[in-house]
Amino acid sequence: MSNEWLNDLRRKMEDHTEDVPDGLWKNIREELFVEDENNGIPGSVPNDLKAQKAVIEFNWPLMYRIVGVAATVIVFLILGGLFDFTGKKHQPEIKKQYTVEDNFQEKPISNPVANYSEKDFGNQFFSPEQKGKQKKNSGQEYLKNSLTGINFSSGINLVDKSEIDLQNEIFSENKLTQKENKGTTTENPFVEETYPLMTKEERKKKEESEAKKLAFNKAKRNWMLGLGTGNASSNSTDQFPGYASLTGATPSLPEMWSLGSGEDPLMSILLANQDKKVDATIRHKTPLTFGASVYKNLGKKWSIGTGINYTKLSAELTSGSQSDFISSEQNIHYVGIPVQVNYNVIQKGAFTGYLTGGGTVEKAVSGDIKTKYIVDGAVKQEIKEDIREKPVQVSVNSAVGVQFKVVKYIGIYAEPGVGYHFKDNSSLKTIYKEKPLNFNVKFGVRILLD
Amino acid sequence: MKENNEQILVSRLLQKEEAAWKELFEAYSGSLAYVCSRYIIDRDHVNDVLQNSFIRMFRSIDSFEYRGNGSLKAWASRITVNESLQHIKQNSNFKIVADETDIPDVEIEEEPDLDEISQHEIMEMIRMLPDGYRTVFNLSVFEEKSHKEIAEILGIAENSSASQLHRAKSMLARKIKEYKMSKTAQYE
Repeated sequence: MSNEWLNDLRRKMEDHTEDVPDGLWKNIREELFVEDENNGIPGSVPNDLKAQKAVIEFNWPLMYRIVGVAATVIVFLILGGLFDFTGKKHQPEIKKQYTVEDNFQEKPISNPVANYSEKDFGNQFFSPEQKGKQKKNSGQEYLKNSLTGINFSSGINLVDKSEIDLQNEIFSENKLTQKENKGTTTENPFVEETYPLMTKEERKKKEESEAKKLAFNKAKRNWMLGLGTGNASSNSTDQFPGYASLTGATPSLPEMWSLGSGEDPLMSILLANQDKKVDATIRHKTPLTFGASVYKNLGKKWSIGTGINYTKLSAELTSGSQSDFISSEQNIHYVGIPVQVNYNVIQKGAFTGYLTGGGTVEKAVSGDIKTKYIVDGAVKQEIKEDIREKPVQVSVNSAVGVQFKVVKYIGIYAEPGVGYHFKDNSSLKTIYKEKPLNFNVKFGVRILLD
Repeated sequence: MKENNEQILVSRLLQKEEAAWKELFEAYSGSLAYVCSRYIIDRDHVNDVLQNSFIRMFRSIDSFEYRGNGSLKAWASRITVNESLQHIKQNSNFKIVADETDIPDVEIEEEPDLDEISQHEIMEMIRMLPDGYRTVFNLSVFEEKSHKEIAEILGIAENSSASQLHRAKSMLARKIKEYKMSKTAQYE
């Protein structure tokens, strides 16, 4: 036996790569660069710290940050304890619900071979126009994206750009929360703090209706300014064999054989995985909600409230094998107006127990899907698409709430409840669609104004 | 003389520019992960070693000498191999298989044919080799070290390195043959 085959082996393996986990660069970067940036913003997301810092210095005085962060920390410390106390009996219930509702397996997507049709297949992979259409994007744009995606360096620019976009977005969230937090710490924040969130017309209307209500209800005019973060505890993961896409169609394998390997990264993925077990995993992240609301007492037991809130829905989809896969990330941002009716059941000392019910109308204001094609462990192509579809999402919810008065005018509350999200007739895959019936816990702060 | 892309990247790396290091990571992490996985089986450990390797590169980029196209990758691979070996040595469960009787010393006459076997399959086979065999095999075949060098690196005798390599080769050749046979059997 000569050793020639070992040289062949070395040559053959020369360009082999193994997959590298997503977080590795982040770890390395933290190790090498973060200390140079002096302290980052606490709790900052994996974004470009430099940019974030610059924006903050530019727009926000240090005071705002300190006040905002301090208020948030205090609120969460207190709520942590409260939630332990109020949330315990609800927690197991939630878990059970999700296993029962886990009906993903029954959906057609779980059985790609059986449901495969040539039409789906063609639509999904080989006709740019169709694909573009499906993803609510024009064919032209798709082609353009593909072209830039293939070029390695401009691919990187794309990522950077979207990172910056995302970061700006997150920053504006921070802005909102900080504004709210400031609200909680100011003595008389009602008029000034709620109003910036509305347009002029709304403001005028609001003033009128308030004047009316105040006149109408002179005896008991208790207004509360509430602000809360919602935390639906429904971070859900679904895994099933085969491929899937966030837009719904299902890729399939067998027909690949006759077509040969092209430059298409999707093709490379399918070819690389042709004899492997493939899985698709959809992970819906916990919806994040920030909001500001006003409540008005109607008599001793009843109160109504409305406001404005912002929700971010994220989902991740990974489809393929360990080293060759498609990875998509979908982010949709909603702005909504909730209307709530509360009924106070019990009041003992600083505690108030109440039932609440109402509805929310939310409109998607923006959204995007980022798709990465990873072939042999390396990012082959990266596409970012905007979601053109901006559905209106209607939901109803009902909850049991506990409010604890911290000081005379400031109360914090926790509301474990259940919500139902109606179909929005869009093709978007969101957690609301997978699990219309949703358990959630909302926390918040209310300021009571006499 | 005009600098090529690799030289430009090196000069940016020297300035510790974050984007340049990210570029280096994006370009080479996949193949360095492969280098690392030849030596280390556990995925988490592979990632740890990979991370350490990049940190080592960052700290020692000053000592890098450009010697033509591909030398950056070769340098990065060398660092990764060194980090991998260091990891192996620190993990006490590394030992050269001393009991030579448990694997029959079958001489395979013909050269194994590598066509129609994917890189992935070959990788799996290499990773299946016992630790000691694999390390010697890697150093000899992929890093092209002599038995003398291997013996020094691993602190073993020179002839022990030779016999380990011989066994590793037979084992791998047998695996490839078996794989081929099972493939052919499927089609018949």
